[in-house]
Amino acid sequence: MTQTLTRRMLCISTALLSLAATLPFAANASAADIKLGLVAPMSGPNARYGAFSMHGAEMAVNAINEAGGINGMKIELFNADSQGTPVEGVSATRRLIDQDGVDFIIGDVSSSVTLAMQPVAEDAEVLLLNAASSNPKITYQAGVGGFKWTFRNYPTDENRALIVAKYAAEQRGFTKFAVLSVDSDYGRSAINFTKKYLPEFKGEILSEDYYKEGEVDFRSVLAKIRDNGAQAIIMYGLADTTPIIARQMLELGLAGKVTLIGNGEFNTEKTIKSAPKALEGAVEAAAWLPQFDSPASKAFVEKFTATYKEAPNNHAYVHWDTVNLLAQAIKEAGSADRTKVRDALSKIKYTSPVGEVTFDDHNQARLPMILLQIENGVPSIKGAFTADIEYPAPGK
Amino acid sequence: MFSTLLEQVINGIVTGSVYAIVAVGMTMIFGVLRAINFAHGEYYMLGTFGAWFAIDFLGLSYELSIVVAILATMVVAYVVGQLVMRRMVGAPAESGVLATLGIALILQNSIIFTFGGGYKFFAGGYIEPVEILGFSLAQQRILILVVCLLVFVGLELMVTYSRLGKAMRAVSQNVECCGVVGIDVSSVVLKTFVLGAALAALSGVLTAPVNVTVYGGMGEIITFKTLPIIIMGGLGNVRGTFFAAMILGIAESLVATYVGLQYRDTVGFATLILMLMWRPYGLFSTQARF
Repeated sequence: MTQTLTRRMLCISTALLSLAATLPFAANASAADIKLGLVAPMSGPNARYGAFSMHGAEMAVNAINEAGGINGMKIELFNADSQGTPVEGVSATRRLIDQDGVDFIIGDVSSSVTLAMQPVAEDAEVLLLNAASSNPKITYQAGVGGFKWTFRNYPTDENRALIVAKYAAEQRGFTKFAVLSVDSDYGRSAINFTKKYLPEFKGEILSEDYYKEGEVDFRSVLAKIRDNGAQAIIMYGLADTTPIIARQMLELGLAGKVTLIGNGEFNTEKTIKSAPKALEGAVEAAAWLPQFDSPASKAFVEKFTATYKEAPNNHAYVHWDTVNLLAQAIKEAGSADRTKVRDALSKIKYTSPVGEVTFDDHNQARLPMILLQIENGVPSIKGAFTADIEYPAPGK
Repeated sequence: MFSTLLEQVINGIVTGSVYAIVAVGMTMIFGVLRAINFAHGEYYMLGTFGAWFAIDFLGLSYELSIVVAILATMVVAYVVGQLVMRRMVGAPAESGVLATLGIALILQNSIIFTFGGGYKFFAGGYIEPVEILGFSLAQQRILILVVCLLVFVGLELMVTYSRLGKAMRAVSQNVECCGVVGIDVSSVVLKTFVLGAALAALSGVLTAPVNVTVYGGMGEIITFKTLPIIIMGGLGNVRGTFFAAMILGIAESLVATYVGLQYRDTVGFATLILMLMWRPYGLFSTQARF
């Protein structure tokens, strides 16, 4: 009796299993016309970036679908959590490609993750459109540099490092710098490019430290910086760590004496509130910020704030903008065929809220960086700067 | 030069105090259970979240939030203790590892699920800097140092003189004999566990104002910093833990100053490896206990 029951159970469960196995395919067949995957850090230390990215992308997708889609085709958005780590980012990408069957992927925020995703997208011939990673290597090795399926709609650290170093030296007269950046592909590469350009402006680096994600104790390093006489701290850091550092600068009496320059969301209300005195005069180069003065940008801020009850950050904007860019590429390609969309993208002339976007032969968008300075507790925009990238010769 | 060194030593002592309060709970739990509590950092996290919740959602003052946070953590620890930790008396070591790692995942993800994975901004505490011996230090850090000393004096007295303290020592020496002379082992285990978790929560609430940000995954780092400390201190040894925490705090601070911040996290485990080669039974035990 038990034997038969077990056997029957086995038959039933096998039947159920095979049914379940066919289900996703059935679901796939009936799903939307354009499948777009989003890889972002939904959990872990960078989860806030992920949430903003998702909201930005979601808002653009909803707007496009409500307006009738692209030539009648609707977009379906699939999320995958990279947790901000390359390992999880790769498996999230695989999940999107193998299980959800997406044709286009936008991701990741973190450069280390994007670098790991590139070969995966290349193998599957899925279009990887990066919206928020700034490590130059990503497009050094894209387009004519190697990966045909990677595009980036975001300015690079090289651009940023040059602009920040130039402004700090020429407008503020700094010559002595201390480095305190995050220990990642983003933080380290930004500093490498700063070192490349700093000698042009007669600047020198007095100390160099990198912090791990999740580090909370900066007293030792800040005391060292206080004693070595640096005028500014070059910081390419994480938004969530900036308030901790700013507070400890206040604690050690560095606030008002040493200026933060670089990038790490120095300009948000929350960060400034955590230690106003430490952030006064801080200089930051960002791809975008809510105060940017253009009608399309202002309209985005207004709609985002109304929808999600908080002001958008840089990551929300770039993901929103990148979905729109992709939509235009699909429209120009006349179909959602990956190869056609890729070709359309390399020839596109897209009007974004910060200016016209075109791609170079490394699939890198030509985009300006916006420079701002914190004055009396609010960010004040000092201009938008573009710098042409000199790609290293192939094989290097 | 000397002044920099002294300042860094003081920084190290403050960092060490935070580690010490968390680690002592973990070492006491090890004493009675013979199991490393891999979820210990999560009680630190729960304490911080409790205080953050009390301040942001209930509008309480920082002082009251400390009480709320510790009580809330004790309730969670009591439930976990009743359901899981009590069953681990006499169980093989691997079941302890699995059970506590599982609890760590559950606690961490419940918090992320409830409050979201993003960073929260901790508003309370005494963050104004004061000058002491020519060094500038947040008031909160002095508070941490004082509380740490009080906790250790208190624990030392409790372990030596109180009935619970004596029972804890007895359980850590021989579980079977405790049963023979009528000590309720499982109740001692439960009480030690709740006390240990409460201390972790206390450490979390005290550190939150200077660390500013609060997030679901913050306990992990604490667990991994605590592990080398309790091994260095001699597992189950309260006094040893205090000195081991201070040594690690000071060593980290000096490495961050003179070598580089990026090497800071390697200090704990490098020290641990040296320790295991040289004195595998801990710095302060006269002999191997196990």
